[in-house]
Parts: sequence; C-alpha cells; structure tokens
Amino acid sequence: MRFEARGLRSGYGSVPVLHGVSFCVAQGEIVALVGRNGAGKTTLVKTMIGLLRATGGQIRLGGSDITRVPPSRRVRAGLRAAFQERSLFSQLSVGDNLRLSGLPAPEHGRVLAMFGESLAGREAQRAGTLSGGEQKMLAAASALASTASILLMDEPTEGLQPSNVELLGDALAVARQQGRGVLLVEQHLALALRLADRFIVLEKGEIVDTGTAGEAGLADRLSGRLAL
Amino acid sequence: MDALTLELLNGLSLFATLAIVALGLGIVFGLMGIINLAHGEFVMIGAYVAYVTHANGLSHWLSLPLAAVVLFVLGACIEVGLIRRIHRRPEVTILATFGLSICLRQAVELIFTREFRGVPNPVPGATRAFGVLFPTYRYVLIGIAVVVVVVTLLAFTRSRFGLTVRAIVADRDLADACGVRTGIANFCAFGIGAATAGVAGALVAPLGAIEPQAGLAYLPGAFLVVIVGGFNRLWGVIAGALVVAAVQTGVIHFYDAVWAQIASLALAVLMLQLRRVPVEGAAA
Repeated sequence: MRFEARGLRSGYGSVPVLHGVSFCVAQGEIVALVGRNGAGKTTLVKTMIGLLRATGGQIRLGGSDITRVPPSRRVRAGLRAAFQERSLFSQLSVGDNLRLSGLPAPEHGRVLAMFGESLAGREAQRAGTLSGGEQKMLAAASALASTASILLMDEPTEGLQPSNVELLGDALAVARQQGRGVLLVEQHLALALRLADRFIVLEKGEIVDTGTAGEAGLADRLSGRLAL
Repeated sequence: MDALTLELLNGLSLFATLAIVALGLGIVFGLMGIINLAHGEFVMIGAYVAYVTHANGLSHWLSLPLAAVVLFVLGACIEVGLIRRIHRRPEVTILATFGLSICLRQAVELIFTREFRGVPNPVPGATRAFGVLFPTYRYVLIGIAVVVVVVTLLAFTRSRFGLTVRAIVADRDLADACGVRTGIANFCAFGIGAATAGVAGALVAPLGAIEPQAGLAYLPGAFLVVIVGGFNRLWGVIAGALVVAAVQTGVIHFYDAVWAQIASLALAVLMLQLRRVPVEGAAA
C-alpha cells in the first residue's frame, strides 16, 4: 500500500500553512519529514489523517483518493497517526488506550514490553498519571499496536530519555521489517538519520529539499537546513 | 418513625423516577454535548406507548420494551435527520431541540387530541413493609428503574461500545483519528437516550394523566439531576438523582413543594458555580 500527497494545501481558517506539498510513503520504508518549528509538520500530519480539511490537492492511500474521507474511515483503510500533543486518552487506562487501537488484552503485555520496563504491568493505570515521556511511549505503542499499514509519527521522541529513544527506534525498525510504511516527523536528526530511507525537508509549508539515506553530505545538509 | 420511613420510601421512589428519566439526558449531554430540550417529549411519547398498549388489550409490562424500541427508532431518526447536521453547534442544537419538542407535542395532539388519557395501575394496592403501607407499584417502579439504570450504565462503562463512548467524551477528534466511528456512536447514544426516556415514560404512565404537555413536567427535574450529578460521568446521574430526591423529600417534609423546588434550583446553581462548566457541555 502506498500513501501519497499530491499538491496538498491546508491551513487554519483563512491562514494557509501548506502550499502544495507532494511526497509519498511506500510500505516497508521510513520517510523522515524534518523541519524547524512552524514549518507546517504537524499541520501536514493533521491534514493527512483528516483532522484538518485539505483546501487543495489530493491524499491517496492504496490508489484511492481519501482527501474527503473522514478520519475514522482513513484509519480503517490502513492509516494511523501518533500526534505530538493530545496523543492519548488521559482519562482512560493504559490498557483501554491499547484496546482502542484494536489490540486485545492478552497482547498488551507484549506491546508494552517493547518499550522496556517503564510501561510493563501498568495496564490498569490511568494514562494521564504517566510521566510525559511515558505518555509519548504509550502513544507510540498505541499506534504501533494497530494494524495500520502506514504510520504517521509526529515527533514521537520529544521528551523521551535517550534509552527510550533507542527503544522507539527499534520498534519503528521492526514496523518497517513488517512491511509497514512510516512517516517519521522529527526535529532532531539523530533518530531520523539512523532509521530513515528517505528525507523530506519542510520549510514554511513547502518541501525545499529531499534526500536518500547514504547520500554524501546529507547529514550536514539537513543540519544546515534545521539550523538556519 | 413510621412517618420517617414513609418519607424515605417516597424519596426512594422519587430517586428512581428521577434517575431513569434523567439517564437519557445524561447520555446525550455527556456523550454528544447536546442539550436536548425535547427529552421530556420522549418521556411523554413513552407514556403514550403504554396507553396504546393498554388500549389494545395488551399487558402493561409489554409496553416497557415496546416504548424502548419505538423511542430508539424515533431518536435514531431524529439523530440522522436533525442532530447529525448541527451537533457541533451547541446553541443551534438548543434551538433545534426546542423546536422539536413543540413539533412532537403538536404531533401527539393531532393523533390523540388534548384529552387526558390514563393507564390502569397493573399492580394495584399497597404492601406493608418496614411497618408502613406503600403502593406496591412504586416498589415495582423502583426495582425496574434501578435495573434499567444499572444495566445501561454497565453497558456504557464495561463494554467495547462503552469504551468508545468514553473515548469520544474524553476527546472526540482523537477518537475519530483512532478509528472510532463517532457518527455511529452518536446515533446509538441518541437512540439509547431516547429509549431509556421511553421506558421511563411507560413506567410512570400508571401514576398520572397522559397528555401532550406531560413531558414538560419531567424536563426540569432531569436537568437538575444532570447538573447536580455532573456532565461527563454517567454514574453522576445516580448521584444527582439521589441528592435531588433527598433535598426535595427533605424540604417537602419540613416545608412544602414550592420550597423544595427552590432548594433544588439553588443546589443546581451552586453546582454550576462550583464546577464552572461551560453551557455547551463536557463533551465539547
């Protein structure tokens, strides 16, 4: 299954944020979307999942136009997002958050164990009482626990301690091995450079640079873009 | 002592009636953030279902599931035809459901006229318990209301459907983005809310006159319960009904019914001040 944005435009009310963004994510690849604060990364994720209306362009999933399809149907078609903020139901338990991703209770332990000891055995705890980093891990676990073919991960490492960033990277690598496609939105390059097959740089709502893993000078070029 | 026992039983009966009448309102408000001013009319139509059942020579007990089915279908149709198009605009839903309540009253008046109707008490007589005589049907009402309320609340809190409902109440957009079919959940919630109001109407039908304006009497009490009990916790309906019934029964015992209403309203205002919840509801 291939996920594609063609000339995508979006924004908030009368304020345009995205100005014709085009890219694709195929199954079995990780595409890193990098950019500074305010570049439009989160707007792009919200538009792709359907929480923001596209004002122009097309979003295609598996060859079907899903631009006007409501979020819940996009999810059932194979798309899933983990948001930078408001990424889980803080009033519900850890287990309930996983159940909402379609993961049966006997599987909860296995999925939580992917993120080390910190979430293990805490299925009954209210998600809102977890630390910020643990909440981010639970949000990532919920997305990874779904059966979605394409994952949109919006800054999943924000607030995570380095050891947990490593664990999350391992989990995303496993998702790629399973044949899933991942759009990894990151502001920090270390994880993106370790995992991604391709790179997209977003600036002021437009793609200004692209690259492929292993390309000579890629890290310096991306660092330069983010440091500007 | 007997007088106190009688007041307690009266309070228990009022609690059961308030809880089952307010349950549907709590579901619709808590889940969808909709202030349904036509909720009293759903109760009134439930009472008419009991009347039609009796007029056709059928058992009163049959009217309870019949009212649930009739009101579920009616509520679902209203959700699809009206609420779905406006549910994200709370002020519009208030006006729309106010208009709907008038339409429903007029429709019932066209069919049944303004004539007062009645349903005979299916369990006449009184039962002596705890040293006092108390109408047997009121014991039955308390039992059925408690069962309906508890089963409904368990369905909303323990089932997969209940989980999706709680997710929607917590964050509708996130629920949508997790694949929860918020539209179907709204459809079911409005239907179930109307159905419980219908059962309430059929249940209280033998206790008073059935006429097109009857629903107006139930709406304020139901809102008091939801306000006092809290907006986004369905179990709050039980707590709210308990507090309102206790206040009303207590004030009636020491003063009169007018002061009981004043005390209930003052309690509701106090709770609103304490919670500072916006009018558009918790689910918004």
